[in-house]
Amino acid sequence: MAGVKKKPQLPKSVLDMKFMKKTKERLERELEDTQDHGSLYSNIITNAMRSASGNYVTEASFIFCENLMEGRLSFKGMNPEIERLMEQEKLKEIPSGEMQKDIPDDILAKKFQAFNKRKRASSTPSKYTMVKKKKSH
Amino acid sequence: MNVSIDDVVLPGDHCPEIVAAGEKGKVLLGPGLRKEINGVFITKPGVLRKRTPNTYWVDNYQKRYVPSRGENVIGTVVQKAGDIFRVDVGGSCAASLSYLSFEGATKKNRPAIKTGDVVYAKMLNASKDMEPELVCVDSHGKKGRLGVLEEGFVFKCSLNLIRKILNPHCPLLNSLKNEWPFELAAGMNGRIWIKANTMRETLALGNAILGSEYLSNDEIKSMCKNIAVLLAGHVS
Repeated sequence: MAGVKKKPQLPKSVLDMKFMKKTKERLERELEDTQDHGSLYSNIITNAMRSASGNYVTEASFIFCENLMEGRLSFKGMNPEIERLMEQEKLKEIPSGEMQKDIPDDILAKKFQAFNKRKRASSTPSKYTMVKKKKSH
Repeated sequence: MNVSIDDVVLPGDHCPEIVAAGEKGKVLLGPGLRKEINGVFITKPGVLRKRTPNTYWVDNYQKRYVPSRGENVIGTVVQKAGDIFRVDVGGSCAASLSYLSFEGATKKNRPAIKTGDVVYAKMLNASKDMEPELVCVDSHGKKGRLGVLEEGFVFKCSLNLIRKILNPHCPLLNSLKNEWPFELAAGMNGRIWIKANTMRETLALGNAILGSEYLSNDEIKSMCKNIAVLLAGHVS
């Protein structure tokens, strides 16, 4: 199968290290096992059989074909447990990239500009001024 | 006979369109289609459907449930046999449900289930030659939406109706959900369990579901409106 990804393998230099002895032995054993399986059935399994399924995947259920919903539903507080699960699923469906905004960007920018100006005009007393005030008492 | 998408098809027909798609890339063959060495053949009478990019299936009218893996079904416990419950799901033989496949169940702490109980369970295993196997937990051991359905009312319908109401484009549940509180479980095996606060509301819900089988989306919306008006009139 072309689609199957190869398992990540450890580099040879790492396997040669002393503490990797057991892992190295295990990997060698696994490799032998798989080769044996291939040769065991080589006279029965033909290349045509290997590529018989090809690009076709069979699915016996309509759920995945028609993209059906979950079949257990509750509305208007009949079963709060199910409704909580439905809520969670709904949150997952919303793509996470762009968040839903209550306030558009341009209004937010204007508001913040005004806010920053105000802040600079009468900034909150810093830590040092607070200390000075305390001393003067 | 050669057929194409959205045609009425019969068993034995073959579809060169799917074969052409299969040469280009992966193709998902749904129910009613079968890959043979010399092409893709239809095995059920119905309408050939396609969902982009590469999913094909036959949309057919069917009342007999054939278990398939991963589907949620509603079953009745018919027998307690040692470690397992036999559950009738409407298939060719009863499904088995282990007492350990419930949330929090251990060998000492058995779930309290009697024969005659209705369960909403997931098909774990469904092969042609073996008894289907059900579970009431997900892979994390949580029950999620599965488990025993208490109280309520169960009725049977065709498998198409289940698919129709669970389709995200169907307006039925969307037009009913703001009318009165209710709970619903739809099994892919053609059984629906409903629960509402009063008998009148339960009946209204059941009739709305069964009545929507042969209606178009607009007709469903107006039917739901009528039912809601009637129900509100009776209450006041």
